[in-house]
Amino acid sequence: MMDMPLRLIRSRQEMTRFFDGYATQRMEELDERKLRGPLVKTHLIELLNGRCTPTPSGLQAIFERRRVHLEPLEDGLFLATDAQREVGFVESLRPRIVALYSTWKSKDIRAWVRRLVLRSPEIDHVWLSGLTFRVLWDLVARLSQPRRFTRLVFTHDSIFDIDSRGSGLEEEDEQEEEEEETSEDSRDEDLAQVVERRETSFRMVDRIGVIQEKLAQLQRDYSPLYAISQLRFPSPVSRGGHDFYDNGQVTNRSESFRDHRSHLLFIVRIYEQLLRATEEQAWYSIRESVGVPGQFRKIVGAPVVVRFREPLSQEVFDQWIDATFKRKRNRFRLWGHPVRLGPTKVHVYGVDRHLWQPLFLELTAKGCIAIVPNGTCGNTVHRLVTNIQRYLDPGADAFIGDRPYTDMVEESARGVPYDLDAG
Amino acid sequence: MTSTLDELLRDPLFQLNAVLWLAQPLPGESQVTPLFHNKGFTVYAIAPLLALPPDVQLAAQEARVSVQPGVRPDVVLIHEREGRFAFAECKGGSFRSSAAEQARSLLIVAGPRAAEVLGLAGKQVSSSLLALVTPESERLPWAEGLTELLEKLREAHLPVGEFSVLGLVLTDTDISLSANGMGAAFFGVHPGLNTILGLEPDTDPRPLYFIPYDPDVMQSADEQALCRRILFERMHSTVVAGVGRAHPPADLSLESNNILNDAMLGMYGQWENRDSARHMRRLCRQFMEAVAQAVHRMVPGTMVYQPGVGWKITIRDEDQHDKLMDALTRFSCETLDLQAELVPTLFDGPEGDAPKPC
Repeated sequence: MMDMPLRLIRSRQEMTRFFDGYATQRMEELDERKLRGPLVKTHLIELLNGRCTPTPSGLQAIFERRRVHLEPLEDGLFLATDAQREVGFVESLRPRIVALYSTWKSKDIRAWVRRLVLRSPEIDHVWLSGLTFRVLWDLVARLSQPRRFTRLVFTHDSIFDIDSRGSGLEEEDEQEEEEEETSEDSRDEDLAQVVERRETSFRMVDRIGVIQEKLAQLQRDYSPLYAISQLRFPSPVSRGGHDFYDNGQVTNRSESFRDHRSHLLFIVRIYEQLLRATEEQAWYSIRESVGVPGQFRKIVGAPVVVRFREPLSQEVFDQWIDATFKRKRNRFRLWGHPVRLGPTKVHVYGVDRHLWQPLFLELTAKGCIAIVPNGTCGNTVHRLVTNIQRYLDPGADAFIGDRPYTDMVEESARGVPYDLDAG
Repeated sequence: MTSTLDELLRDPLFQLNAVLWLAQPLPGESQVTPLFHNKGFTVYAIAPLLALPPDVQLAAQEARVSVQPGVRPDVVLIHEREGRFAFAECKGGSFRSSAAEQARSLLIVAGPRAAEVLGLAGKQVSSSLLALVTPESERLPWAEGLTELLEKLREAHLPVGEFSVLGLVLTDTDISLSANGMGAAFFGVHPGLNTILGLEPDTDPRPLYFIPYDPDVMQSADEQALCRRILFERMHSTVVAGVGRAHPPADLSLESNNILNDAMLGMYGQWENRDSARHMRRLCRQFMEAVAQAVHRMVPGTMVYQPGVGWKITIRDEDQHDKLMDALTRFSCETLDLQAELVPTLFDGPEGDAPKPC
């Protein structure tokens, strides 16, 4: 089954049966500790053409521009191939979100997706910030039995907190673009460089009830534990579960692909509602006041506010600004010329350089305020929050106007069905 | 810091942007305390042109009271639930008799005919007020001047409203807004000082600017240069974003109207003063010519000005697109002369004299 050419699969039903069988086989191999093939990975990809739903040919054109051919199989399902190989299946899950299912090795498909996203302002990863994971973790705890096992990964790397100038940050940025991120599983500790800065990569596997009891206190004691970067939703129909990563990768570690797909649908529905809510509230524009068209104009929108738990030091602030705005390739994917207003305050009337959409920022040692002009995708906000938690302050809080970001995630999750037959 | 705090408090664009921030939703303990938003006020209109009712204009003529037939308060704030409207006007300088005509009209639009002036039903406006924002040192002269004007308007039986002069006060730790009895009661804030903006050592406290530029206001040379820089940065982000999103092969045209509207959050389209609109277009042209030169050095022939169309950008392929983006993103408006006098050019008019709404 592992070597079956994907082009032989011609429908959603056939694809599901193929991945179901494949997943069962992998779980049996895992039980025997002899994994003979990679697990099924999904990459959730957001389409960034505003609020218009792309037609099938529009979706094909977006991928074709990056030399990826999408062959239509049935409504919303495509076989994806590049110049050399069959990559997997692309399925349109929601108007703005597609899933790429693949059985490639983790590092190969991650590098492939990363290259695809980097070169295209029309698509991006689905970004699940630590704050979003905080709400999703609560859902895991509510949906699963306390005795079930789950897995959380916390990742924080204070890359701007360097012990000396020229610490290789630029090289790291370059590597991030060109190469695969080394997973915590494959990291060779002997080769790891000596880094004197806060770096947390921490995996916690335990019963849900135990984690639920301990996590809040652990987070209060050690703030990098707020930066949840992976979360496992235990499968309700089998052992194992579905590992969601902050960049939209989801690994199926269960026997059921159907269950995997249901979890994808559950999360993307929440994410899509969150995107919509972010855009509705945060988009700034000057609109006509109701009732007097063409005459009165008012400002609508709300600033995005990120507040750091601890203020950044002068050195970290300077390094953050220099590393972000003096380098073409930077972790925050921002462009602009900072207007310096104080030792730890700049204004940037800049651009999200991945999506090429305007974004106005006030960056200080205490946090960040963003004005998101009308039309700038809500995804920009979620990527900003994810990166701030990962690289600057894991315990940062975020608000859209005066509303906590986590409240918006909770509200987005309310009413989203969680069932195995959701389709 | 780019200017002294005293200069900043006198700057009408700082005042305008500060008033807009005071009406934005923000979490507690922010650097800006959104005083007006916390009390239920939001922005109803920015610089709306409000006409005095014809009978009021006639009555003013008959009483030989000089008024402006139409007036633009800087911001109108609304407390939607209670139907309260504040007509906010920002003033950097002292009260002078030359300001009297505009002030009389503002006192009238903020009066009992406010609903009619705003095009609303009478019951939609329960109360209204002229709120004049000025540095604390100018508060008393403005209050005295407005009191005198108000009395004369009342003597002439013209329908006038109440006013409150809100003073911007610099303390050791913050910038506060001082509100007197009437203003404090109207906005529901403490009588006396209300903190609006925290100060940090050696740091310019200004917030991000919603409205970065206005050729009609008087600013110090330093403030004007900084505001011009902000305007250029915003035009630059518009151009970079527009070209960045293009899929080669592609032809783009960038019109000054669109660039200016994007950079001003759509406010450029509202300018009726043709001289001001022309001034803005010259700024846009100064900026775009500098950008075009920078582009020409790296990717010749890619960006050309076409009268009546704007700047036409031709992108043949991905390689050229990459080079063009390199040239655009490397260009910095810090290299421009931010205090240059703008001279008329042959190309001032071709895209139309008046700004087009966005």
